[in-house]
Amino acid sequence: MKEFEKIEKQEFLTKFSKSSSITAFRKLSSKVLKKNRCIFLDAEYKPFKCNSECDHIKFGKYLAKLKFDPSREYMVFKCSCNKICLSFPIVQGSNVYGHVLFIHLGKEPEKTAIDATKICMDLALREFQKEQELNKLYETIRPRAIALSTVHTIHRLLSSTLNMDELIERIARLILQVMRSRHCSIMLLDASKKYLIPKAVINLDKEIPKTNPQYKKIRLRLGIKLEGRVAKTGKSALSRNSVCVPLVEEDIIGVISTQDKTNDEPFNRFELEILITLAEQAVIAIKNAQMYEEQEKMAYGSIKTLAALLDAKSPNTFTHSDQFVKMVLAIAEEMRLSREDIVNLHYSALLPDTGKFNIPEEILKKPGILSTGEYDIIKKQHLESLKIIEHLEFLKPAIPIIKHHHEKYDGTGYPDGLKGIQIPIGARVMAVANAFEAMISVRPYKGSKKISISQAIKEVEKNKGTQFDPEVVDAFMKVTKKPEFENIIKASI
Amino acid sequence: MKSIKNLFKNETARKIVLFFNENPNCIDTARGISLWIGWDINIIQKTLNQLVKDGIITSHQTTSTAAYAYTNNKEIVKKIEKYIKSML
Repeated sequence: MKEFEKIEKQEFLTKFSKSSSITAFRKLSSKVLKKNRCIFLDAEYKPFKCNSECDHIKFGKYLAKLKFDPSREYMVFKCSCNKICLSFPIVQGSNVYGHVLFIHLGKEPEKTAIDATKICMDLALREFQKEQELNKLYETIRPRAIALSTVHTIHRLLSSTLNMDELIERIARLILQVMRSRHCSIMLLDASKKYLIPKAVINLDKEIPKTNPQYKKIRLRLGIKLEGRVAKTGKSALSRNSVCVPLVEEDIIGVISTQDKTNDEPFNRFELEILITLAEQAVIAIKNAQMYEEQEKMAYGSIKTLAALLDAKSPNTFTHSDQFVKMVLAIAEEMRLSREDIVNLHYSALLPDTGKFNIPEEILKKPGILSTGEYDIIKKQHLESLKIIEHLEFLKPAIPIIKHHHEKYDGTGYPDGLKGIQIPIGARVMAVANAFEAMISVRPYKGSKKISISQAIKEVEKNKGTQFDPEVVDAFMKVTKKPEFENIIKASI
Repeated sequence: MKSIKNLFKNETARKIVLFFNENPNCIDTARGISLWIGWDINIIQKTLNQLVKDGIITSHQTTSTAAYAYTNNKEIVKKIEKYIKSML
């Protein structure tokens, strides 16, 4: 018998002798043969994991018969002390894996009892085979199902953001997790396609693992170092301590590399395959984020063009300064508004007074208090003017912000007299920034006087809860205490 | 972090840690993990939150999904592996 065959048969017998089906077989056969002890011989007729009972049996004569005809169905024989014993071969297909022995039976078993025991053995073998198949399925399918679920989870995590910086860092962290490694870097090709620019470099050995901005200043020429070579050739590289794969979407757009496993073992081909799969997922997410960035740029471009056109008609009437936009965004960030809210607020801040477009110039530039009739014209034209931007789909969420940023928190504003949280959050933010900018800027046509920054801040705080949302005012107050505030207001004056 | 012995007194925590020790590359949601372990999702979620605080599990949060994975901390993983071996 060949060595591997011998090992395989030994393994089979070990598992079979411990299986639940053999326990059931023992119970059934004990009832039929009135003997609940059975022992096993392996395929080479050696006693298999049994105790002193085996020493008692002199197998010589018996083994000679068995070897002569190993496939015989059963055999009744007498042991050295002249007591009756019964043996069955453990057969599966054409293979004899061993023998089961019942020793020292009280009397010679009847043919029906032997047949019944034989049937029990066949059933036990069949059950065992099923058990084995189920175990095999569990051992092979379960890890694959878990891996598939991991791939699906990663897909969900990656598709939940379109912010490129956030996405790239997330990809790097997930790679560290799945690859069980300590370093990961993601580099993308620059516009010239000659250099790789690191977008995320994470090193778990550092106390607070985070993307190091220093790395973003580095440029790596194609063909230089491992990453450069992979980006140039498009071929993955695997070494003991690192794996590097290209990010390919028609052309190569970058590389992912990871180094040093947490358990200090070398990377293997299986892990290379995992990284290739992750790179395929990552490249789709990166492409989506890039497309979204392009769309955003186009949207900002369109808004800026529109703002420039409006400015050409009447400077500083429909738009505000860059600093106003910065103030709006600073308050929004302080309030931790969602990214979507911030983007819409940004659009609105670029075109805050589009609603004034149809309002006659003599009313817009009239110094002092407006008459009721003039105020009614403003309200009516305000809504009419907003129709200009209605056709730009991406600006639709900004319209309510632009429309309602003259509302007051206590409900005394216009156009609809909305109150409290009825006013969109973006409009509440814009209201504060707008009032602050108006107070510290010179707007001659308004006839109002410019006041100092500290007075303006006090004025905003004074109107907290009446004209302005208290939460927005709180955020505004925090912004005014930050060092960046100086830069925001400097050019605003 | 609690001692590994104390941690393993909680049956759900033990099952989760054993699962991740066996499948260290896995990243899954609480629902997924409850499926692999065959345990109630609410108990799994509660235990996962505690294990995240203990530094044994890492969470990857997005606005819509929270996924969990085994810690990358070499020392913690070694301690857990040592304890598991001692149990066998």
